[in-house]
Amino acid sequence: MTMVGKKSFIVMTLLIPFLILLLGCIPVALAYINSSADSSVTRIAVIDESGNFGAAFKNSPNYRFVVMKGDKAVNAHEFYKNAGEGIDAVMVIPANVLDGQQATIYSENTIDQGTINMLTQCLNDTLVSAKIASFNDPDLESKIEQSQVNAQVKSIKWDEKGDEQEQSAQIASILGMLLSFFIYTFVLSYGAMIMNSVVEEKTNRIVEVIVSSCRPMELMMGKIIGVGLVGLTQFLIWAVLLGIGYLVLGIVAGGAMVATNPEAITAGMNMPGNADMSSGLGDVMTALASINWLSLLGNFVLYFIGGYLLYASLFAGFGSAVDQASDSSQFTLPIIIIMMVALYAGIACMENPSGPMAVWCSIIPFTSPVVMMIRLPFDVPWWQLLLSIVLLYATAMGCVWLSARIYRTGILLYGKKRSFKEVLKWVK
Amino acid sequence: MNFIDVNSVVKQYDGHLALDNVDLHVPQGCIYGLLGPNGAGKTTLIRIINRITRPDSGTVMINGKPLEDKDIANIGYLPEERGLYKKIKVADQIVYLARLKGMPKNLAVSEMEKWLERFELTEWRNRKVEELSKGMQQKVQFITTVIHRPQLLIFDEPFSGFDPVNAEQLKREILQLRDEGATILFSTHNMASVEEICEQITLINHARVVLEGKVGDIKQQHKKNLFMVDVAGCEAIEANENMFEIVPSDEIRGTLIKLNEGVALRDTIAWLNDNYTLTGITEQLPSMNEIFIETVQNK
Repeated sequence: MTMVGKKSFIVMTLLIPFLILLLGCIPVALAYINSSADSSVTRIAVIDESGNFGAAFKNSPNYRFVVMKGDKAVNAHEFYKNAGEGIDAVMVIPANVLDGQQATIYSENTIDQGTINMLTQCLNDTLVSAKIASFNDPDLESKIEQSQVNAQVKSIKWDEKGDEQEQSAQIASILGMLLSFFIYTFVLSYGAMIMNSVVEEKTNRIVEVIVSSCRPMELMMGKIIGVGLVGLTQFLIWAVLLGIGYLVLGIVAGGAMVATNPEAITAGMNMPGNADMSSGLGDVMTALASINWLSLLGNFVLYFIGGYLLYASLFAGFGSAVDQASDSSQFTLPIIIIMMVALYAGIACMENPSGPMAVWCSIIPFTSPVVMMIRLPFDVPWWQLLLSIVLLYATAMGCVWLSARIYRTGILLYGKKRSFKEVLKWVK
Repeated sequence: MNFIDVNSVVKQYDGHLALDNVDLHVPQGCIYGLLGPNGAGKTTLIRIINRITRPDSGTVMINGKPLEDKDIANIGYLPEERGLYKKIKVADQIVYLARLKGMPKNLAVSEMEKWLERFELTEWRNRKVEELSKGMQQKVQFITTVIHRPQLLIFDEPFSGFDPVNAEQLKREILQLRDEGATILFSTHNMASVEEICEQITLINHARVVLEGKVGDIKQQHKKNLFMVDVAGCEAIEANENMFEIVPSDEIRGTLIKLNEGVALRDTIAWLNDNYTLTGITEQLPSMNEIFIETVQNK
């Protein structure tokens, strides 16, 4: 395995986790830049025809409000013109706003959605309080608060003994998706690596020397197994580095956030959705605990190896038919399309992991490694699992055999571009 | 005893006959030339002996036994299209390829040191192959072919890409390997090198063996009764209808004559001696180049 020794390979192995981390930071950084760049103050004149709600708008670092009680006589446009540069927008609150008439904001420049949301929120809160107050019931506010119910359906699974196990469909599908995405990425990227290595040995002409020392089949399988192990090692390194990276980043970023913007944290805490965060984490834990990890990981390894063998051998076989890396697309495209189909089928199956499409796609060997991963966290009937695995391995063996025959011929033929049909002839 | 016996091997590719009942018998310790024009089937035959491809029918015996997978550790092959991993260091590459042939690592390293020194490549051992000149790459490739001391060496156009000095060194190395007991199968178009080092040859054309035997014998078979005659003075020799005719040639040091059918050489010499002052007469055997062209064009 020649490529492992390359500096670029080692550097990439170590660098990729940082790149991923960096990528993860970009949205945060962008949001930060966005908010800090937007330091200009928006000045809004509020013409309060109702006369009651102008007080809802309080000045903040980014917004200045000029509230005036008005009547219908005031023309918003004229007011805006007279104010000149001093004002960015004019908001008109109609007299009967409490009865459902809409408030309006006027401006010459487009008002951004953030501002509109903020104004709406302010007005809404004030109106709700006003409505509650209009019922003249001092207990009403607490009654309303108590009547807010957050309904959730808990799904409980019986195991063979009838014991109850809590499960979360969402967690299960995310887990399945992760696993299937892992297989998809691994097979595609390392399959392409195998193909490149085959083409490289062929263009180097060293392949003739090598096959005079060992059998083409051995060379091909060595390559597939070698690249597979390299890939796994690489993934392991990435996983470890990423884990460490996220931990470090989390600590640093958390500290920085508290230091620079304590309000944001408290504001975030007070948001209604986040109140469930801690209990949500507990749910995730119990859901994760309810999954049968042994069978999940066992099957994952089985599908991973089977799927990798199947596709990697195809990549190697068709790679041998090509003289230059640039010609390889005609053969890689069909493989990639099949993989894409598998991935999309997998995503579609998340909706209904026991539906007919999910069942079929998880049995057809070309899609099963990806799709079955999505079904696995939901229990799959054992006969389907068995059938799927047997089919997958049978097809993988078939592909290895087929590719070995193509490879044997392909690596020694140079010159013209080969068509698909011609390549399939070599199998004979 | 023959080291390689190829018996009536047939190989067909997709409607095209690459080898048609080919026989090849290479004696032990011989430098054997495998000749033929491009596309005649030489490379296919070499690949069959290498077990890279299998014959459709026919057998290959090595050392009296049918060729098996384990025998390839005993073969060194220098393909016509040279190839090495460009990004790998010279030393790593040689050791890797030697170990592929089943050599233990320590032995591979110590043998490599010897060969690198012999080819004056020691200071290049930690360079990548792509940094080497073409000639040096050829030497590295040669080392990878012979390092495991195989009993059978197959060289496909070994001299191509070598300058005369290096080609001479290579020739010496090949002869020494032969003296140490290796059998050498040598595929080439370069007839001058065939005359220099091959003891026997097989000529393949259009997938068939068309000529086969010892280089000396073949030359004898193809001789055309041509003699170079040198006489004292500047007298021009005139043709003698009963004995010989004059063959036009570029040669300025003598006159080329062709004896008539059935005329004895001693009679001709006697006649020449009577009429001129004969200073020398040598038989002109055809060169392998002439034989090659004649044979290939006649078929």
